Amino acid sequence: MLEGHISRSFDGELAGLHIRVLEMGGLALDQVRAAARAYAEWDLHNAQLVMDREHTIISSGARIYDDQLGLIARRNPVASDLRAIIALAKIAAELDRAGAEACKIARTVLHQAGRPGRGTSTDARHLANLATSLLRLSLEALDQLDGELAEQVIDRDQDLDAEYAAGLRRLLSRALEDPAQLEVTVEAAFALKALERIGDHARNAAQQIVRIAEQAILRRKD
Amino acid sequence: MNESTQTLGRSADAGLNLRPAARGAVSSRLEGATIGQTIGTVTVVDPVFSCRDVNVHYGTKHAIKNVSLDVGKKQVLAMIGPSGCGKSTFLRCLNRMNDTIAGARVSGQILLDGQDIQDPERDVVQLRARVGMVFQKPNPFPKSIYDNVAFGPRLHGLARSRADLDELVCTSLQRAGLWDEVKDRLTQSGTGLSGGQQQRLCIARTIAVKPHVLLMDEPCSALDPIATARIEDLIDELKEFFAIAIVTHSMQQAARVSQRTAYFHMGSLVEVGETDRIFTNPRHRLTEDYITGRFG
Repeated sequence: MLEGHISRSFDGELAGLHIRVLEMGGLALDQVRAAARAYAEWDLHNAQLVMDREHTIISSGARIYDDQLGLIARRNPVASDLRAIIALAKIAAELDRAGAEACKIARTVLHQAGRPGRGTSTDARHLANLATSLLRLSLEALDQLDGELAEQVIDRDQDLDAEYAAGLRRLLSRALEDPAQLEVTVEAAFALKALERIGDHARNAAQQIVRIAEQAILRRKD
Repeated sequence: MNESTQTLGRSADAGLNLRPAARGAVSSRLEGATIGQTIGTVTVVDPVFSCRDVNVHYGTKHAIKNVSLDVGKKQVLAMIGPSGCGKSTFLRCLNRMNDTIAGARVSGQILLDGQDIQDPERDVVQLRARVGMVFQKPNPFPKSIYDNVAFGPRLHGLARSRADLDELVCTSLQRAGLWDEVKDRLTQSGTGLSGGQQQRLCIARTIAVKPHVLLMDEPCSALDPIATARIEDLIDELKEFFAIAIVTHSMQQAARVSQRTAYFHMGSLVEVGETDRIFTNPRHRLTEDYITGRFG
C-alpha cells in the first residue's frame, strides 16, 4: 500500500514513517506494561521508569509530526497516500495519548496516593492484560497492515469496557464496606479508567489501520 | 504489494516484516484496472459543451474512444492523464482545431449551447471566436500590445468606434490582470513582455472577442511559479465569465484551479468527478495510480 511509486525514494520515506510509528507504538506498549505493573505491585521503581521515559515517547511523536509535514510539503501526496499519512498521524496521536495514560497511572504510585487492596490490584492486573493485549494486537495489525486483525481489536475493546464496568462496580462495593478507604478508591478508579482509555486508544488506532489496510488489499488484487 | 513478504526498504535491524493480511475482510473501494465505462457523472446541470460518444482517428490510430463529457458554465474542467492519453486531442475537438490536421477524423456529437459544432455549414472562424484557446507557449503577434488585443475585435467587427475598441482593449487587459503593468506602454511590442505577461496578453487577446468558452492547453508549462500563480488566479476570476477547460500535466494545478477533473487514459475517459473527490477518493484504480505517482 505504501509502495509502488515511480519515485522509490517516496516509497522509502513512507516506509520510514510507518516504521517510526511502529517504534513509537513499541514505546507506548512498554510504558503501559511498566505502569500497570507499577500499580498492581505498588512498585516505585517501575513507576519512576515510566516517568523517566515520558520524554522519549513525546519526542518520538514530535519527529513523526515533522516527518509528516515534510512529506506533505515535498511530495504533495493525494488520494491513498494522503489518507495513509493522515491515518499514521492519527495513530501516532493515539499512541501518544496511551503513553500519557500510562504516566497518569505511574504518578498515582509515585505520589503514594494510596496502595490498592488485593482485589483492586487483581482487577487492575486483569484490565492491564486486556489493554496491553489490545495495544499489542493493534501494533501487529499496523505492522502487517492487517485489516482483519484491526477489526478484532475494535471488537475486543467492548470486552475491556465490560471488564472495566465490572471492576468499577466491585471497587465501589469495597468502598461502601470500608468508607475509610475512600481516597484509595478514588485513585484506584482513576487508574482503572486510565487502563480502559488505553484500550480506547488501541481501538481508535485500529480504526485508522482498517482504512489503510483497505488500500493494501486493493493493491494486492492485481 | 504481492503475496510474498515485503520489507519496503526498511532498515534490516528494524526486524519488522510487512506481511499482507488475508484478503476478504475489507471491502473494495476502487474499481478494477480495466478501461470501460466512464466512472462518475459526465453530465452537468448547465452545460456549455455537451459531448457524446466522441471518437477521433488520426489515420489508423484511434486517439479518442467514445468519450462523453460536459463542460459546465462558470466552472473549470481540468483534463489530466499521461502523455498521449488524448486529453489535448479532445480539447482540440471543442473548437475544431483537429480539422487542420491531415487524416484526422472526428465523429460523435459535440454540442455548443445545443448546436452541433461539427455541422459542415458551421462557420469555423465564428466558432473559434466563441471558443477561444490559449496554448502552451505564449504566442503574441509581433505587433503592439494594443494591436494584439484589438486584433480579434477588429476581425469580427465587435467595435463600432475607436472609443469602443479602446474600451474593449482596456477591459480585456484588466480581466487578464495585465492592465496595470502595460497601460503606459500599449504601443510597445507584445513580444517584449515577460513569458508570464505574454501568456496573459494571449488570454486578453482571446477574451477580447467575448468567447463563451476558454480552452487552455497547458497554459503554464513554460512559466515560472510566480507567473503560474498569476495565471491560476486569473483562471479563478475568469470562470465567473467563461466556461474553462484546461489540459494540464500538473496535478497540483488541476487540484488548485478546477471544480471538475477528468482523467484520460489511452484515449478513454476513465473517470470524471468533482476535483475534491478525484484527488482524495478516486474510484478507478488507474486514476488512483496516476495521481499518486505510481505510473505516468
